[in-house]
Amino acid sequence: MTEASPTSAPVPSGDPIRVGVYVCHCGGNISDIIDTKAVAAELAAHPNVAVSNDYMFMCSDPGQALIIDDIKANHINRVVVAACSPTLHELTFRKALQRAGLNPYLFEHVNIREQASWVHKGDHEGATRKAVRLVAAGVEKVVRQDELFPIKVGVEPHVVVVGGGVAGMSAAAALAGRGLGVTLVEKASALGGRVADLDRVYPTEESGADLVQNLTRQVQCHPKVAVRLGSEVVGLDGHVGKFTVTVRATAAAAQDPDHVVRAGAVVIATGFDHYRPAQGEHGFGQSPAVVTLPDFQSALRQCPASQSGLAYQGKPVRSIAFIHCVGSRQIDGVHPPQPDGKVNDYCSRTCCAATLHTIRQVQARFPDVNVYDLHKDIRTYGRGHEAIYEEASRAGALFLRFPDEEPPTFAASKDAKCAGVVTTRDILTWGEELEIPVDLVVLATGMVPRDIASLIDLRKLPVGTDRFLQEVHPKLRPVEMGVAGILLAGACQGPMDINEACTAAQTAAVKAAILLANPTIELDPFVAVVDPQRCDGCEKCLAECEYKGALTMADAVEAGATVRRAVVNPAMCVGCGACAAVCPPRAINVAGWTLDQFDAMVDAIVAEDVGALAHTECRPSARHIEFAMAGGGN
Amino acid sequence: MSRKDDLKILIITTMISSYPGANTVGQARLQYSPGTFIVRVPDPVMFPEEFYLDSFAKGIDGIIIMSSGSDCPYEGAYPRLSKRVGRVYARMKELGIDTSRLKLTTICTVCKAAFLKEIRDMQQNILKAKAA
Ligand SMILES: Cc1cc2nc3c(=O)[nH]c(=O)nc-3n(C[C@H](O)[C@H](O)[C@H](O)COP(=O)(O)OP(=O)(O)OC[C@H]3O[C@@H](n4cnc5c(N)ncnc54)[C@H](O)[C@@H]3O)c2cc1C
Repeated sequence: MTEASPTSAPVPSGDPIRVGVYVCHCGGNISDIIDTKAVAAELAAHPNVAVSNDYMFMCSDPGQALIIDDIKANHINRVVVAACSPTLHELTFRKALQRAGLNPYLFEHVNIREQASWVHKGDHEGATRKAVRLVAAGVEKVVRQDELFPIKVGVEPHVVVVGGGVAGMSAAAALAGRGLGVTLVEKASALGGRVADLDRVYPTEESGADLVQNLTRQVQCHPKVAVRLGSEVVGLDGHVGKFTVTVRATAAAAQDPDHVVRAGAVVIATGFDHYRPAQGEHGFGQSPAVVTLPDFQSALRQCPASQSGLAYQGKPVRSIAFIHCVGSRQIDGVHPPQPDGKVNDYCSRTCCAATLHTIRQVQARFPDVNVYDLHKDIRTYGRGHEAIYEEASRAGALFLRFPDEEPPTFAASKDAKCAGVVTTRDILTWGEELEIPVDLVVLATGMVPRDIASLIDLRKLPVGTDRFLQEVHPKLRPVEMGVAGILLAGACQGPMDINEACTAAQTAAVKAAILLANPTIELDPFVAVVDPQRCDGCEKCLAECEYKGALTMADAVEAGATVRRAVVNPAMCVGCGACAAVCPPRAINVAGWTLDQFDAMVDAIVAEDVGALAHTECRPSARHIEFAMAGGGN
Repeated sequence: MSRKDDLKILIITTMISSYPGANTVGQARLQYSPGTFIVRVPDPVMFPEEFYLDSFAKGIDGIIIMSSGSDCPYEGAYPRLSKRVGRVYARMKELGIDTSRLKLTTICTVCKAAFLKEIRDMQQNILKAKAA
């Protein structure tokens, strides 16, 4: 396994800390409210501040040039910019420091626009006082900041994709198209996943089998893709850039060796399962006339084109009730809880369109069948989906809307005229209670996550409250997981239709391709770092770390004696800081976010006088971190 | 007698949800008191119990921890954080510090109303406690 080792020289010590403070007007966005000149003037009194200026647009070229000139001419060695949100320009200023030859992390960005001038328009004085305190806190943080270096990790230009449904295959094809090697691991004996079971798919009316065949051809014929059918991932060690993935054939005999793949990234595309209704849920399991949508679709597909009337399991069907939201959008107290005690309160998104699309197929082939659509809402959110709804309605489907807390019930009928009666309250007719004799009830069952507990356990993959795999952020980082280098594609992340699953897969592929584009990856240095001089080997931090291999203990020799010290593998640490909270001597901290820094920030926030804050000397620091892992060292 | 704007409320936000959430409030130009100081952290699970108690001792009137809740991308971090905050409450009681001065809540990237409400509630609680 690759070991992480700190290798760089310590922060140059001895030079006095000289901070440059730059307060931005942002046109007038900030300076119309906050007295930027007063802020700069007050900060000039801080004992570590050597230069304090205000300027119209700090992010402009001349604004950045001010900083660069001060670094070069005035020996500024720490920089604080008070401006807009760091999400906008933190990188801009870090790069300016770099251009001036200063370590880019000796920088602090203070937000006095989104979190000050824009939200305190009526109180200029209060906003100015706040800005002074925030900038002083920024100065206190940056004077305690060590030089940081990106973590360099050598990469394997190969990706393991787990799951060979449309998402997994799309990801594999896109990755191979970008020149990366791919191992596609599929548990079943064939590729295709759930789409292989679909006849025609909405909204394009393509055949599910054709779609699957097309993708299967792309991956199976590609020289860079190795497909391993009937296989599962049983080991997932290492870290971004260099994972070691162990693949085992599910039907393998005990003596068959596992297949080990080295990969720079892993894409998980294990898809979803169909919700299985509880016994008695709308009559399910009690009457053969109550079936799930996938079962009905499968029956419809097998029904010969020549057949004149619709029949299910040999019985003629003259009227059908489709019931939406079975196993989705459940309400506590109304629906039975799932095995984990929670209800499925999420929307399965695809079932409305899938139900309406199935209704259209019934109507097209068997126009005499009466169709009732019982819903609490119709969510035809996607492109072309609303048209299917309209067509179903025009072709005579009767839409009834039941109240959330009163789902329809089914009672089997004793006479032979129909299989049973669905009873529902209809909001569209002012709450009228209706009894509908039907031959078949089709439950539009939702999506639930597949049971991939063993895969989740391999790396403690984050799972959301809905039990699907969870991305770092649904909007900002939609296909990344908390574990660097593990990406998500398709319905393993939540209900998606084919279009969305393939879009997510392409996104994951691009993300992986960017990660693995160069022989080494540079990762953010904000990971846990141990000061061996402070670490007393108590091991409290180990119990807090959820990430296997990120934090371990190792022997070290100190003054001739062997001692135990905590050691961080920076490529596996996610930088959450859980370890830092329990370390009595504060030996372990997240680089760039140390507890000493936060304490000092609080001191600055409560201080009445910036000038009275203590001068900070440059310390010879042991907490430098450059981890050269390029090339590995397997 | 204190005014709400004279209070010093420390708001601990997460990089992934509540810090962008605070930005969303700003982008909407929604207004709140300037006695609020937002710090961003990868995750508040990194703070030991002492951090909160020391901050109160230093003169911080109230602390709102705006976590990512169940959306937290770090495995096990939120349950750890909430247990730790429980222990901080116990110690606050022992030390005679009003427990309404500390609040653990969840704020997302677009939780504008909740963000403002948490600040308002905290200010009211502190002022009420100070007046008592
Ligand atoms: C009733 C119904 C009808 C639908 N109709 C349509 C439609 O008409 N149009 C449309 O756009 N969408 C439709 N959808 C949605 C569509 O089915 C999904 O978008 C699509 O299947 C998602 O693809 P996927 O690859 O993410 O997951 P899946 O199709 O579930 O594929 C996942 C694959 O991963 C494999 N796998 C699982 N676990 C492992 C493991 N541990 N190791 C290795 N392999 C594993 C599985 O065997 C499977 O091959 C419908 C959904 C339902 C429920």
